[in-house]
Amino acid sequence: MAETTFMGVPRDQIPWFPTIDYDKCTFCMECDTFCPHHVFERREGDRPLAIANPANCVVFCRACAKTCGPDALSFPGKPETIARIKQIREGASSK
Amino acid sequence: MKRAILSCNGLDKPEGSVAREVAIRGAEATGAEIICPVLLNRAPARYRKALADSAVTVVDGCSTRCATRLASQLKANVERKVLVSDAVKGSGQALESTLALGPNGVALARRIVEELVRNLSAPAVAGEPAAEFETPVEYLAVTHDKFEFRIPVVDYLFNENDVWVRASDGVARVGISDYMQQKLTDVSYFDPPKVDSGVEQFGELGSLESAKAVFEIISPVGGNVTAVNRAAIDNPALVNEDPYGAGWLVEVKLTHWPEDQELLVDAAAYAGIVQRKAAEE
Ligand code: SF4
Ligand code: SF4
Repeated sequence: MAETTFMGVPRDQIPWFPTIDYDKCTFCMECDTFCPHHVFERREGDRPLAIANPANCVVFCRACAKTCGPDALSFPGKPETIARIKQIREGASSK
Repeated sequence: MKRAILSCNGLDKPEGSVAREVAIRGAEATGAEIICPVLLNRAPARYRKALADSAVTVVDGCSTRCATRLASQLKANVERKVLVSDAVKGSGQALESTLALGPNGVALARRIVEELVRNLSAPAVAGEPAAEFETPVEYLAVTHDKFEFRIPVVDYLFNENDVWVRASDGVARVGISDYMQQKLTDVSYFDPPKVDSGVEQFGELGSLESAKAVFEIISPVGGNVTAVNRAAIDNPALVNEDPYGAGWLVEVKLTHWPEDQELLVDAAAYAGIVQRKAAEE
Protein backbone atom coordinates (compact mmCIF):
# COMPACT_ATOMS: atom_id res chain seq x y z
CA MET A 1 0.00 0.00 0.00
CA ALA A 2 2.99 2.26 -0.57
CA GLU A 3 1.00 4.47 -2.95
CA THR A 4 -1.68 5.35 -0.38
CA THR A 5 -2.12 9.07 0.08
CA PHE A 6 -4.01 11.33 2.45
CA MET A 7 -4.94 14.76 1.10
CA GLY A 8 -2.53 14.18 -1.72
CA VAL A 9 0.40 13.47 0.60
CA PRO A 10 2.03 10.03 0.73
CA ARG A 11 0.59 8.42 3.84
CA ASP A 12 3.92 7.26 5.19
CA GLN A 13 5.10 10.88 5.43
CA ILE A 14 2.35 11.75 7.91
CA PRO A 15 3.33 10.78 11.45
CA TRP A 16 -0.21 9.93 12.67
CA PHE A 17 -0.64 6.68 14.62
CA PRO A 18 -1.16 5.62 18.22
CA THR A 19 1.69 5.24 20.68
CA ILE A 20 1.28 2.65 23.42
CA ASP A 21 2.31 3.63 26.91
CA TYR A 22 3.57 0.27 28.16
CA ASP A 23 3.53 1.50 31.75
CA LYS A 24 -0.25 1.82 31.54
CA CYS A 25 -1.25 -0.87 29.01
CA THR A 26 -2.87 -3.97 30.51
CA PHE A 27 -2.85 -5.89 27.19
CA CYS A 28 -6.62 -6.24 27.29
CA MET A 29 -6.52 -6.05 23.45
CA GLU A 30 -9.66 -3.91 23.21
CA CYS A 31 -7.89 -1.55 20.82
CA ASP A 32 -6.79 -4.33 18.50
CA THR A 33 -10.22 -5.91 18.56
CA PHE A 34 -11.77 -2.56 17.76
CA CYS A 35 -9.54 -1.27 14.95
CA PRO A 36 -10.32 -2.80 11.57
CA HIS A 37 -7.14 -1.53 9.92
CA HIS A 38 -4.54 -3.91 11.36
CA VAL A 39 -2.54 -1.12 12.91
CA PHE A 40 -1.90 -3.22 16.00
CA GLU A 41 -0.38 -6.66 16.09
CA ARG A 42 -0.42 -9.29 18.82
CA ARG A 43 2.94 -10.81 19.59
CA GLU A 44 4.55 -13.43 21.75
CA GLY A 45 6.52 -12.42 24.81
CA ASP A 46 6.04 -9.97 27.66
CA ARG A 47 4.91 -7.14 25.37
CA PRO A 48 2.15 -8.94 23.50
CA LEU A 49 0.93 -5.86 21.61
CA ALA A 50 2.76 -3.58 19.18
CA ILE A 51 2.08 -0.96 16.50
CA ALA A 52 2.90 -3.00 13.43
CA ASN A 53 1.42 -0.93 10.59
CA PRO A 54 1.42 2.75 11.55
CA ALA A 55 0.65 3.86 7.99
CA ASN A 56 -2.63 1.96 8.08
CA CYS A 57 -3.93 4.24 10.79
CA VAL A 58 -6.60 6.65 9.53
CA VAL A 59 -5.20 10.17 9.82
CA PHE A 60 -7.09 12.11 12.54
CA CYS A 61 -8.89 9.01 13.81
CA ARG A 62 -8.42 8.43 17.54
CA ALA A 63 -11.15 5.90 18.04
CA CYS A 64 -9.08 3.15 19.64
CA ALA A 65 -8.01 5.54 22.40
CA LYS A 66 -11.69 5.79 23.33
CA THR A 67 -11.87 2.06 23.93
CA CYS A 68 -8.78 2.02 26.14
CA GLY A 69 -9.73 1.91 29.80
CA PRO A 70 -6.28 2.73 31.25
CA ASP A 71 -5.78 5.62 28.78
CA ALA A 72 -2.59 4.08 27.41
CA LEU A 73 -2.85 5.33 23.82
CA SER A 74 -1.71 8.74 22.65
CA PHE A 75 -1.59 10.57 19.32
CA PRO A 76 0.29 13.55 17.90
CA GLY A 77 -1.39 16.97 18.02
CA LYS A 78 -3.80 17.75 15.20
CA PRO A 79 -2.55 21.30 14.51
CA GLU A 80 1.04 20.08 14.08
CA THR A 81 -0.14 17.30 11.82
CA ILE A 82 -2.17 19.67 9.65
CA ALA A 83 0.78 22.06 9.45
CA ARG A 84 3.00 19.16 8.35
CA ILE A 85 0.52 18.06 5.67
CA LYS A 86 0.23 21.60 4.32
CA GLN A 87 3.99 21.97 4.30
CA ILE A 88 4.44 18.78 2.28
CA ARG A 89 1.69 19.79 -0.14
CA GLU A 90 3.25 23.20 -0.71
CA GLY A 91 6.66 21.64 -1.17
CA ALA A 92 5.21 19.26 -3.74
CA SER A 93 3.34 21.92 -5.71
CA SER A 94 6.28 24.33 -5.90
CA LYS A 95 8.47 21.68 -7.45
CA MET B 1 -41.49 9.15 29.80
CA LYS B 2 -40.01 7.03 32.57
CA ARG B 3 -36.32 7.10 33.31
CA ALA B 4 -33.75 4.42 33.99
CA ILE B 5 -30.03 4.39 34.75
CA LEU B 6 -27.74 1.73 33.38
CA SER B 7 -24.35 1.95 34.97
CA CYS B 8 -21.02 0.19 35.10
CA ASN B 9 -20.87 -1.81 38.31
CA GLY B 10 -17.32 -0.81 38.75
CA LEU B 11 -15.90 -3.36 41.10
CA ASP B 12 -12.37 -3.30 39.78
CA LYS B 13 -11.52 0.38 39.30
CA PRO B 14 -11.98 3.56 41.32
CA GLU B 15 -13.80 5.14 38.34
CA GLY B 16 -16.23 2.26 38.52
CA SER B 17 -16.96 2.96 42.16
CA VAL B 18 -17.78 6.53 41.19
CA ALA B 19 -20.04 5.28 38.36
CA ARG B 20 -21.93 3.14 40.81
CA GLU B 21 -22.30 6.07 43.20
CA VAL B 22 -23.55 8.27 40.35
CA ALA B 23 -26.17 5.65 39.52
CA ILE B 24 -27.42 5.46 43.10
CA ARG B 25 -27.50 9.20 43.70
CA GLY B 26 -28.85 9.84 40.21
CA ALA B 27 -31.69 7.41 40.74
CA GLU B 28 -32.57 9.10 44.03
CA ALA B 29 -32.49 12.55 42.50
CA THR B 30 -34.47 11.75 39.35
CA GLY B 31 -36.71 8.87 40.36
CA ALA B 32 -35.09 6.68 37.72
CA GLU B 33 -35.02 2.90 38.00
CA ILE B 34 -31.57 1.36 38.33
CA ILE B 35 -30.70 -1.35 35.86
CA CYS B 36 -28.07 -3.65 37.32
CA PRO B 37 -25.73 -4.74 34.52
CA VAL B 38 -24.97 -8.08 36.10
CA LEU B 39 -28.60 -9.06 36.51
CA LEU B 40 -29.31 -7.65 33.06
CA ASN B 41 -26.73 -10.01 31.66
CA ARG B 42 -28.01 -12.95 33.60
CA ALA B 43 -31.76 -12.40 33.29
CA PRO B 44 -32.52 -9.84 30.59
CA ALA B 45 -36.27 -10.38 30.88
CA ARG B 46 -36.16 -8.73 34.29
CA TYR B 47 -35.56 -5.35 32.62
CA ARG B 48 -37.36 -5.81 29.33
CA LYS B 49 -40.16 -3.49 30.35
CA ALA B 50 -37.93 -0.83 31.87
CA LEU B 51 -35.80 -0.79 28.72
CA ALA B 52 -38.80 -0.57 26.44
CA ASP B 53 -40.52 2.24 28.38
CA SER B 54 -37.68 4.41 29.63
CA ALA B 55 -35.24 7.03 28.52
CA VAL B 56 -31.93 5.65 29.74
CA THR B 57 -28.97 7.46 31.23
CA VAL B 58 -25.83 5.39 30.70
CA VAL B 59 -22.95 5.75 33.15
CA ASP B 60 -19.57 4.32 32.18
CA GLY B 61 -16.60 4.23 34.50
CA CYS B 62 -13.79 3.97 31.97
CA SER B 63 -13.44 3.98 28.20
CA THR B 64 -14.05 0.28 27.95
CA ARG B 65 -17.65 1.51 28.10
CA CYS B 66 -19.26 -1.74 29.13
CA ALA B 67 -22.54 -0.02 30.01
CA THR B 68 -22.66 1.72 26.63
CA ARG B 69 -22.13 -1.56 24.84
CA LEU B 70 -24.88 -3.23 26.80
CA ALA B 71 -27.17 -0.31 26.00
CA SER B 72 -26.51 -0.54 22.27
CA GLN B 73 -26.85 -4.31 22.17
CA LEU B 74 -30.25 -3.94 23.78
CA LYS B 75 -31.16 -0.98 21.59
CA ALA B 76 -31.96 1.11 24.65
CA ASN B 77 -33.31 4.61 24.13
CA VAL B 78 -30.28 6.47 25.46
CA GLU B 79 -31.01 9.96 26.66
CA ARG B 80 -27.79 11.00 28.38
CA LYS B 81 -24.33 9.57 28.89
CA VAL B 82 -21.69 10.02 31.52
CA LEU B 83 -18.09 8.86 31.26
CA VAL B 84 -16.48 9.08 34.68
CA SER B 85 -12.87 8.91 33.47
CA ASP B 86 -13.51 12.01 31.33
CA ALA B 87 -15.16 13.76 34.25
CA VAL B 88 -12.08 13.02 36.36
CA LYS B 89 -9.85 14.61 33.72
CA GLY B 90 -12.17 17.61 33.47
CA SER B 91 -12.28 18.09 37.23
CA GLY B 92 -8.52 18.57 37.56
CA GLN B 93 -8.54 16.52 40.75
CA ALA B 94 -7.28 12.94 40.90
CA LEU B 95 -9.42 10.20 42.38
CA GLU B 96 -8.28 8.26 45.38
CA SER B 97 -6.63 5.06 44.22
CA THR B 98 -8.74 2.88 46.52
CA LEU B 99 -11.84 1.06 45.37
CA ALA B 100 -13.81 2.31 48.35
CA LEU B 101 -14.84 5.87 47.59
CA GLY B 102 -12.79 8.62 49.22
CA PRO B 103 -13.84 12.26 49.62
CA ASN B 104 -12.73 13.18 46.08
CA GLY B 105 -14.74 10.34 44.62
CA VAL B 106 -17.85 11.30 46.54
CA ALA B 107 -17.46 14.96 45.61
CA LEU B 108 -17.08 14.05 41.95
CA ALA B 109 -20.13 11.76 42.00
CA ARG B 110 -22.14 14.54 43.59
CA ARG B 111 -21.06 17.06 40.94
CA ILE B 112 -21.82 14.65 38.10
CA VAL B 113 -25.31 14.03 39.46
CA GLU B 114 -25.99 17.75 39.91
CA GLU B 115 -25.05 18.33 36.31
CA LEU B 116 -27.10 15.38 35.17
CA VAL B 117 -30.19 16.68 36.95
CA ARG B 118 -29.64 20.14 35.46
CA ASN B 119 -29.27 18.63 31.99
CA LEU B 120 -32.31 16.45 32.26
CA SER B 121 -34.55 19.29 33.35
CA ALA B 122 -33.22 21.73 30.76
CA PRO B 123 -32.35 19.89 27.56
CA ALA B 124 -29.09 20.92 25.93
CA VAL B 125 -29.34 24.04 23.82
CA ALA B 126 -29.67 23.04 20.22
CA GLY B 127 -29.43 26.52 18.70
CA GLU B 128 -31.49 27.63 15.73
CA PRO B 129 -30.58 26.12 12.39
CA ALA B 130 -29.69 29.05 10.17
CA ALA B 131 -29.85 27.49 6.79
CA GLU B 132 -32.51 25.83 4.72
CA PHE B 133 -30.97 23.20 2.50
CA GLU B 134 -32.77 21.22 -0.10
CA THR B 135 -32.25 17.50 -0.25
CA PRO B 136 -29.77 16.58 -2.97
CA VAL B 137 -31.28 15.21 -6.17
CA GLU B 138 -28.40 13.75 -8.10
CA TYR B 139 -26.00 11.17 -6.71
CA LEU B 140 -22.88 9.34 -7.76
CA ALA B 141 -22.99 5.73 -6.71
CA VAL B 142 -19.97 3.71 -5.66
CA THR B 143 -20.67 0.01 -5.57
CA HIS B 144 -18.76 -2.68 -3.80
CA ASP B 145 -20.05 -6.24 -3.51
CA LYS B 146 -23.70 -5.88 -2.72
CA PHE B 147 -23.30 -2.43 -1.21
CA GLU B 148 -24.03 0.88 -2.83
CA PHE B 149 -22.71 4.13 -1.41
CA ARG B 150 -24.31 7.35 -2.57
CA ILE B 151 -22.51 10.66 -2.92
CA PRO B 152 -24.38 13.87 -3.84
CA VAL B 153 -22.92 15.35 -7.02
CA VAL B 154 -23.21 19.07 -6.29
CA ASP B 155 -22.97 21.39 -3.24
CA TYR B 156 -21.24 18.89 -0.95
CA LEU B 157 -17.54 18.71 -0.13
CA PHE B 158 -15.87 15.99 1.94
CA ASN B 159 -12.86 15.37 4.09
CA GLU B 160 -11.11 12.03 3.94
CA ASN B 161 -12.61 11.18 7.30
CA ASP B 162 -16.02 10.65 5.69
CA VAL B 163 -17.61 13.87 6.90
CA TRP B 164 -19.44 16.16 4.46
CA VAL B 165 -19.98 19.88 4.54
CA ARG B 166 -22.38 22.10 2.66
CA ALA B 167 -22.02 25.86 2.93
CA SER B 168 -24.33 28.76 2.29
CA ASP B 169 -23.96 32.39 3.37
CA GLY B 170 -21.13 31.81 5.78
CA VAL B 171 -22.83 28.91 7.56
CA ALA B 172 -22.02 25.27 6.95
CA ARG B 173 -23.98 22.18 7.69
CA VAL B 174 -22.01 19.04 8.54
CA GLY B 175 -22.87 15.34 8.55
CA ILE B 176 -21.44 11.93 7.71
CA SER B 177 -21.43 10.25 4.34
CA ASP B 178 -23.60 7.38 3.25
CA TYR B 179 -20.51 5.18 3.21
CA MET B 180 -19.69 5.92 6.87
CA GLN B 181 -23.32 5.56 7.89
CA GLN B 182 -23.41 2.06 6.43
CA LYS B 183 -20.08 1.20 7.95
CA LEU B 184 -21.21 2.20 11.43
CA THR B 185 -24.53 0.33 11.03
CA ASP B 186 -27.43 1.51 13.23
CA VAL B 187 -26.41 4.72 14.95
CA SER B 188 -27.61 4.52 18.54
CA TYR B 189 -26.32 7.77 20.00
CA PHE B 190 -25.28 11.22 18.82
CA ASP B 191 -23.16 13.07 21.34
CA PRO B 192 -23.28 16.63 19.99
CA PRO B 193 -20.66 19.35 20.44
CA LYS B 194 -21.57 22.34 22.64
CA VAL B 195 -23.42 25.11 20.88
CA ASP B 196 -21.30 28.30 20.85
CA SER B 197 -18.04 26.38 21.12
CA GLY B 198 -15.24 26.94 18.64
CA VAL B 199 -13.86 24.22 16.40
CA GLU B 200 -10.79 24.05 14.21
CA GLN B 201 -10.70 22.26 10.88
CA PHE B 202 -10.11 18.56 11.67
CA GLY B 203 -11.06 19.17 15.30
CA GLU B 204 -13.81 17.16 16.90
CA LEU B 205 -17.53 17.87 16.47
CA GLY B 206 -18.89 15.33 18.92
CA SER B 207 -19.28 11.67 18.13
CA LEU B 208 -21.64 8.99 16.92
CA GLU B 209 -21.97 5.55 18.38
CA SER B 210 -23.30 2.27 17.14
CA ALA B 211 -22.98 -1.24 18.51
CA LYS B 212 -19.97 -1.54 16.21
CA ALA B 213 -17.99 1.61 16.79
CA VAL B 214 -17.53 5.07 18.22
CA PHE B 215 -16.99 7.58 15.43
CA GLU B 216 -15.44 10.95 16.15
CA ILE B 217 -16.97 13.53 13.86
CA ILE B 218 -13.93 15.20 12.36
CA SER B 219 -14.83 18.73 11.38
CA PRO B 220 -14.29 19.59 7.73
CA VAL B 221 -14.32 23.30 8.62
CA GLY B 222 -13.18 25.77 11.23
CA GLY B 223 -15.59 28.12 13.00
CA ASN B 224 -18.19 28.29 15.74
CA VAL B 225 -20.90 25.77 16.42
CA THR B 226 -24.23 27.58 16.02
CA ALA B 227 -26.67 24.67 16.08
CA VAL B 228 -26.91 20.92 16.48
CA ASN B 229 -29.63 18.77 14.98
CA ARG B 230 -32.10 18.19 17.79
CA ALA B 231 -33.99 15.66 15.68
CA ALA B 232 -30.85 13.53 15.23
CA ILE B 233 -30.17 13.61 18.97
CA ASP B 234 -33.69 12.41 19.71
CA ASN B 235 -33.75 9.92 16.87
CA PRO B 236 -30.22 8.89 15.78
CA ALA B 237 -31.70 6.52 13.18
CA LEU B 238 -32.14 9.64 11.00
CA VAL B 239 -28.39 9.55 10.38
CA ASN B 240 -28.81 6.14 8.75
CA GLU B 241 -32.03 6.97 6.96
CA ASP B 242 -31.03 10.28 5.42
CA PRO B 243 -27.35 11.04 6.03
CA TYR B 244 -27.21 14.01 3.62
CA GLY B 245 -30.55 15.53 4.58
CA ALA B 246 -32.60 15.17 7.76
CA GLY B 247 -29.70 13.30 9.39
CA TRP B 248 -27.37 16.32 9.34
CA LEU B 249 -25.49 16.82 12.60
CA VAL B 250 -24.06 20.26 13.24
CA GLU B 251 -24.10 23.80 11.88
CA VAL B 252 -20.94 25.86 12.01
CA LYS B 253 -20.48 29.56 11.34
CA LEU B 254 -17.49 29.62 9.05
CA THR B 255 -14.35 31.55 9.86
CA HIS B 256 -11.81 30.17 7.37
CA TRP B 257 -13.89 28.85 4.50
CA PRO B 258 -11.54 29.71 1.61
CA GLU B 259 -8.59 27.97 3.30
CA ASP B 260 -10.72 25.10 4.58
CA GLN B 261 -11.71 24.18 1.04
CA GLU B 262 -8.11 23.55 0.05
CA LEU B 263 -8.14 20.47 2.27
CA LEU B 264 -11.53 19.13 1.13
CA VAL B 265 -12.48 17.06 -1.89
CA ASP B 266 -15.46 17.10 -4.25
CA ALA B 267 -17.88 14.26 -5.01
CA ALA B 268 -15.78 12.70 -7.78
CA ALA B 269 -12.61 12.65 -5.69
CA TYR B 270 -14.49 11.38 -2.64
CA ALA B 271 -15.97 8.59 -4.77
CA GLY B 272 -12.42 7.47 -5.50
CA ILE B 273 -11.61 7.49 -1.80
CA VAL B 274 -14.71 5.46 -0.92
CA GLN B 275 -13.90 2.96 -3.65
CA ARG B 276 -10.43 2.49 -2.23
CA LYS B 277 -11.60 2.23 1.37
CA ALA B 278 -14.33 -0.27 0.52
CA ALA B 279 -11.85 -2.41 -1.40
CA GLU B 280 -9.39 -2.40 1.50
CA GLU B 281 -11.89 -3.69 4.05
S1 SF4 C 1 -6.93 -0.95 24.88
FE1 SF4 C 1 -5.31 0.12 26.03
S2 SF4 C 1 -4.82 -1.26 27.71
FE2 SF4 C 1 -5.96 -2.49 26.24
S3 SF4 C 1 -4.34 -3.40 24.95
FE3 SF4 C 1 -4.96 -1.51 23.93
S4 SF4 C 1 -3.51 0.03 24.69
FE4 SF4 C 1 -3.38 -1.72 26.07
S1 SF4 D 1 -6.77 5.70 15.47
FE1 SF4 D 1 -8.38 4.62 14.37
S2 SF4 D 1 -7.36 3.76 12.59
FE2 SF4 D 1 -5.76 4.38 14.01
S3 SF4 D 1 -5.27 2.58 15.18
FE3 SF4 D 1 -6.83 3.67 16.33
S4 SF4 D 1 -8.81 2.87 15.66
FE4 SF4 D 1 -7.24 2.20 14.21
